[in-house]
Amino acid sequence: MTTVTEILIIGTGFAGLGMAIQLKRTGRDDFIAIERADDVGGTWRDNHYPGIACDVPSHLYSYSYLPNPDWTRVFSPGPEIQAYIRKCAEDEGILPHIHFHTEMLKSTWDEAKKRWVVETSKGTYEAKILITGTGHLADGHMPNIEGLDGFEGDVFHSANWDHSVDLEGKRIGVVGSGASAIQIIPEMQKLASEMVVFQRSAPYMIPRWDREYTEGERRLCRRDPSVIDEMRSEIFWAGEFNFAQRRNIPRFLNEAKALAVRHREDNVKDPELRAKLTPDYEIGCKRLLISNTYYPAMSAENTTLEASALKKVENGKAIAASGTEYDLDVLVFATGFEAVRPPFATRIFGSEGISLDAHWDRGMQAYDSIAVNGYPNLFIINGPNTGLGHNSVVYIIEAQVDYILGALDAIESQKVEVIEVKREAEDAYMDKIDRMSQGTVWLAGGCKSWYVDDRSGRLTLVWPDFAHSFRDENGTFHPEGYMMNSAPVAAE
Amino acid sequence: MLDDQPYRDGEVTVGGVAVRYRVAGPDNDRLPLVLVHGTAGSIDGHYGYIFPMMAYRQKVIALDWSEPAGDTVELADLVAQVKAVIEAEVPNGPVTLMGYSLGACVAAKVAAEMGNKIKNLILAAGWLKTDTHQKMRNDVWRQLRDQDSASITQYMTFCAFSPAFQNLKTLDEMKAAAGMLKMSAFVDKQMDLNTRIDIAAECETITAKTLVIGCTFDMMVPKHHSKQLFGAIEDARYAEIPSGHAVVHERAAELFHYVDRFSAQPDQYEAGAIIPAQKP
Repeated sequence: MTTVTEILIIGTGFAGLGMAIQLKRTGRDDFIAIERADDVGGTWRDNHYPGIACDVPSHLYSYSYLPNPDWTRVFSPGPEIQAYIRKCAEDEGILPHIHFHTEMLKSTWDEAKKRWVVETSKGTYEAKILITGTGHLADGHMPNIEGLDGFEGDVFHSANWDHSVDLEGKRIGVVGSGASAIQIIPEMQKLASEMVVFQRSAPYMIPRWDREYTEGERRLCRRDPSVIDEMRSEIFWAGEFNFAQRRNIPRFLNEAKALAVRHREDNVKDPELRAKLTPDYEIGCKRLLISNTYYPAMSAENTTLEASALKKVENGKAIAASGTEYDLDVLVFATGFEAVRPPFATRIFGSEGISLDAHWDRGMQAYDSIAVNGYPNLFIINGPNTGLGHNSVVYIIEAQVDYILGALDAIESQKVEVIEVKREAEDAYMDKIDRMSQGTVWLAGGCKSWYVDDRSGRLTLVWPDFAHSFRDENGTFHPEGYMMNSAPVAAE
Repeated sequence: MLDDQPYRDGEVTVGGVAVRYRVAGPDNDRLPLVLVHGTAGSIDGHYGYIFPMMAYRQKVIALDWSEPAGDTVELADLVAQVKAVIEAEVPNGPVTLMGYSLGACVAAKVAAEMGNKIKNLILAAGWLKTDTHQKMRNDVWRQLRDQDSASITQYMTFCAFSPAFQNLKTLDEMKAAAGMLKMSAFVDKQMDLNTRIDIAAECETITAKTLVIGCTFDMMVPKHHSKQLFGAIEDARYAEIPSGHAVVHERAAELFHYVDRFSAQPDQYEAGAIIPAQKP
């Protein structure tokens, strides 16, 4: 049996759900969102490791049209964000539109039907418009470690935490030193008899200006929601200011670096450890991390910093690239996500029958960061060049949702059957992105990061400018970039 | 590797003194943007953010005021310096001119005098005519200065930043920021000039497409002054930033947003429009 719908959304994280809410709010009811898991929330559902929290203050990291007066902290913990997303889905009446446990397996553009045919784990769907909201942090990246099968203890990825494993008093190895790792490590340090951190490259770290909101502050937010707007504005523009660091302007980069150096020197007294914790690239080239607990955990007596990658497992021992061997009971892989080559792209086949992943053989790209030539009637939220190193991605998602609403208005009013971005428009957009990227810290900062596609050296994940300019440039549908074929008018 | 933007220094002589300026950014379909700083300011002090960031978008020219000969500084002296830089650097064709604080008063007068040469005008935290409220603050400043009080920079800092911004810092951090302000005879003369501004008649003659930017929590040049400019200049639109007077530091990115949008699309809002704040 085939389920037919006007609009099919893939995923129900901030992107897919935000799209669904706005479809509903604009009076569109003929849509379905498919979700491979059993709940909404995306990365906030999947990531429930100890210590999980967001790096963007909660009053900004939430939908602008669904403010939450009850955030308990400046940076609220992960479960609170997940509960917020769940509540948004309930309050906005989206749950009946969601088909859970439904994983997209293959989406194919059917030229004759002018429809997307979407095969899922729960049957086939057909939709005129396909919208992906699969995010950058959807599929955990597991490095290929020789002999890992022979490890006798427990092994799991940070995005698939095994809470059944008792970690108390264990010898725990944490692989990675990125955004997840630095939240997990302080929690593991408290539990472990010994902890070994395998670090390929040291991250930059700045203080986390976190605190609890008082009941009075929360009551004020309920009584006068304009206070939330003011906070959002303040947080947003303070974040925007920091784009000057990513733009790699010496004065602002050096200010950020000074903050990071001071934080490290204040918290790490051992010169040898401090040297190992000192990055060898420019600040911001990789994600800039915020934590007050990471350095103390790394300085603790039961912590060993192995300043090289985990290379292999042999005779039950974890062996680092440096050759050092460790006896461990548990290995936690906080090794990030498949962001540069998102797995969803291997499952979407356009008008020439080529997968988006194969089409993107030199890296992801999309016109206005949302549409790809050869893939009609498809909109990608939070895809190529939408990530930020300095502000809230929810803001970007909202801009993209607005763009799609504009496209839908045009499609509906002009009775468009097929909408496809022009090749030259897409190329011109990518030329612009390439120009904007030059000299930014992501390309010039001397690091290997998930922001850059190493097949082409192009910046494919990040929007290399202010967040506000993303909305200015990509928050409104641009019909001039598209070919739109209207349905023939039926003879009466 | 830092992205050291290429820039070029220039110099013109005005009334016997050398006026230095800086040029950066590509020539493109935007008009050159000329930046005029405010009291006790400089290119780096007031446009340390706007200058380099705008130079990724377009050609930008900014000058540092030089102390003119004489016992006082007059608006005409500073106007002459700005005009000389514009004439030297953009001999042909129109420009977009931006002034901040006292620099906005200067820029408005330049626009009145240069007519079509100033096609677009941006006035941030400027004013039309010095009023009693400003004279009160200026008078306290004058007394502290006459007493050679160490508190003068802290007083200036207290007046410059909004309560909300100060509350993001500690007292020690605010005092450290104050310690970076430097007094001089030239600053004294600028502060004296601040008590005598009246460009009401000139503003009535400005033909430039104008963006007036007021600051909601400005205690030095409260936003009613920007509203007065918005009323006095025929082709003006108004935007407001929730900041103290030191908007170039406090809300530099939001100020950039308005300057960038207006420079790219001066026609986006019609005369008389109050531009809604972006709601992130």
